[in-house]
Amino acid sequence: MAPHSPGTDQISTLLWIGFVAAAILVIAVNVALFFAVRRFRSERGATPRRLLGGRGLQFRVGAVLTIFAALLFVLGVVFTGKARERPSTGEAGLASAKTEPLKIKATGQQWLWRYDYPNGAFSYYKLVVPVDTAVELELLSTDVVHTWNVNDLAPKADAVPGKAHKIAFSADDEGSYEGDSATLSGQAYAPMRTEVDVVSPAEYEEFTETQESEIEEAQDRVVKLYEEEKTP
Amino acid sequence: MSPGPRPEFVAEGYRVSRRPRWAERATSADHKDVGQILICGALGFLFIAAVELVLMRLQLLVPENTFLSPVGFNRMLSMYGATSIFLFALPFALGFFYYVAPLQIGARGTALPRLGQTGVALYVAGATVLYATFLFTPPEGGVNPLAPLSEKAFLSSNGIDAWVTGTGLATLGFVFLAINLVATLRMMRAPGMAWRRVPVFAWAATVSSWLLVVVGPVFLAALTMLMIDRHYEGIFFADGSGGAPLLWQHLSWIFFTGAYMLLLIFAFGANAEIVATFSRKPLFNRNVVMASLGAVAVLGTLAWMQNMLTAPIGIGWQYFAMLISVALVVPFGLILFNLIATLIGGTLRMRAPALFAIGAISMISIGLAAELEQSLVGAAWHLHNTTDATAATHFALIGGAIFGGFAALHYWFPKMTGRTMGESLGRISFWTIVAGLLLGFAPLFLAGDDKGQVVDAYKYFDNTGVTAYNVIATIGVLILFVGLLLTICNAIFSRTNGPAAGHDPWGGDTLEWFTLSPPEPHNFDVLPDVRSPQPLRDIREAIGHRTRREESAAARESQPVA
Repeated sequence: MAPHSPGTDQISTLLWIGFVAAAILVIAVNVALFFAVRRFRSERGATPRRLLGGRGLQFRVGAVLTIFAALLFVLGVVFTGKARERPSTGEAGLASAKTEPLKIKATGQQWLWRYDYPNGAFSYYKLVVPVDTAVELELLSTDVVHTWNVNDLAPKADAVPGKAHKIAFSADDEGSYEGDSATLSGQAYAPMRTEVDVVSPAEYEEFTETQESEIEEAQDRVVKLYEEEKTP
Repeated sequence: MSPGPRPEFVAEGYRVSRRPRWAERATSADHKDVGQILICGALGFLFIAAVELVLMRLQLLVPENTFLSPVGFNRMLSMYGATSIFLFALPFALGFFYYVAPLQIGARGTALPRLGQTGVALYVAGATVLYATFLFTPPEGGVNPLAPLSEKAFLSSNGIDAWVTGTGLATLGFVFLAINLVATLRMMRAPGMAWRRVPVFAWAATVSSWLLVVVGPVFLAALTMLMIDRHYEGIFFADGSGGAPLLWQHLSWIFFTGAYMLLLIFAFGANAEIVATFSRKPLFNRNVVMASLGAVAVLGTLAWMQNMLTAPIGIGWQYFAMLISVALVVPFGLILFNLIATLIGGTLRMRAPALFAIGAISMISIGLAAELEQSLVGAAWHLHNTTDATAATHFALIGGAIFGGFAALHYWFPKMTGRTMGESLGRISFWTIVAGLLLGFAPLFLAGDDKGQVVDAYKYFDNTGVTAYNVIATIGVLILFVGLLLTICNAIFSRTNGPAAGHDPWGGDTLEWFTLSPPEPHNFDVLPDVRSPQPLRDIREAIGHRTRREESAAARESQPVA
């Protein structure tokens, strides 16, 4: 993963912490096991002997494990807390999102993501957001549980029907970010992908305005066809 | 001076059978017959689950493959999940508990034999319902078909109904078996077999049975609610009309997490016996191991929300799930430490059961450490539902149910059949499975952690950079398949052709080795007084003392009087 938002930076750090903790445990167990098996094989005349100092040793091992677990929990809470912090809009970001984050709705439906922008425009598959701007994404679902997953930008989060789920992120670099869905949602689950285009605020404004006017134009056309009693 | 009379534990020519052996066994309520049906059924379904896994991996061999259709893949996935959990792993563990635990506590039968017989019949019925779906439509909701996908509006075929019925029948059967085990272990222990002297494996059976009695009904309730939703206009999991899609996740994950813990408790219980026996020394601090097994059952099940860290639940509950999962480091760590400490100072005989037991410790440690990383909430926001999770689960559960289970199989096979399993085939199988598991699932750690490849998807795209990982994983799973097949063949062949084993081929310390192999229907003619957790060791020591005393007396007598 290549983190491109303050939240995913923290997630990436926590992943490393988790990886190191897991590696310590795996190495400790397997190295001890390897040497125990190598050293204490049965030989002619060898008699088993009891390991002495059982109770004190056990207590110390338990204490070390407890400290390890407590430390990991504290680190987990600290970095998860940092990853949850609401980002703020920076200098290069969208001017109108300086006080309030830019609110966008992401709706999962079998098998497509739909994005609704504040000005009434919407887009399918591709989400366009301005760079360095706090974006609040409200995840919704019209049918089954979907998971919105754009690794580099935001935490993975479920869109559950009937239950709003808000996540926030702020992309620090312009570019295109690939994403997908991460909960089995039926036949076309694998190709239910998405893409986030991070652009400059001006390009974002332009995109939403064109999108809005094009949608209006298309709707007008349908209305006109309807009024002329033609089947569209 | 002649040696005094030796104790006799022989019961021969007792069985008078009028019907063929298989009919006797199929209609028997005896715990040994029921246990063997469960174990045989489980091994059969292990083969089928492995075939399904191979088919899915072949689909994922290359990007955008069309070997299986999307629906075909989802059906294979659903059947693989149901088969490996409900038809292989749980009955495999329960079969050993059901066969061995009554023998270990010196019981001549079980407390509620007909209940257990009903249990195994329900398991067979559940398996039949699940596999009958290949005649119409197999389920396609995934390993855990999350509502609302499993609602009639989204999957209207009766595959999901069959999944609900099949897993429900099997789970009900497991609960019946567990109730009988709880009652047996509570009421039918031999004189002197206080709880503090109960063998670790029998204790693991107690803990697992209680766990199943608690989490089984939760799952049955969830299945009933889903059935009501699907057919009787229920609203339990439907949103908008007062239902809650997340309710299914809570209820089902309570069960699946409990089942996960049960398999690990089973593996550690069996490992504790095997490691102690093959090192020729008692388990290091067995009380701590027993307490830890109990703690794993309680804490592990409380950590069910570890599976829901990306769902819209309060951050407080997410921290709670993390706290419980991280706290599991202590009991799991103590168990692993004590198993290794048992090896230290011992004289290890590296026979097949010991080999599989040591493999189980190693593989479970990898799986659990990876699970630990995923239980950190922020890390789960990246790792949840990636192939990293698949790999962690498979390392822990293949470590538990297959390495731990095969260790138990090699260890208690002589007791069940009177013959030992082929040693060299066991070794070959072990190393093949190790290679298969490492190659088949370790690359998925990287694909999930680094590239974020998602689970359950029937295809992936080349531009996501996971092709190489998946090619290696497919090769690994093929090797794993061969390894599993070798042990299954070994068991089938050794049943009739293996080298004959006495009643106690490994020098075990617990009461199951006190009776014949295979035991008579009533298990024991006579029972020794149990005065320690190692009754057979006590007997061996007493015989040794007496022999030495007699020898020295004989030596004194033969000495010339000066």
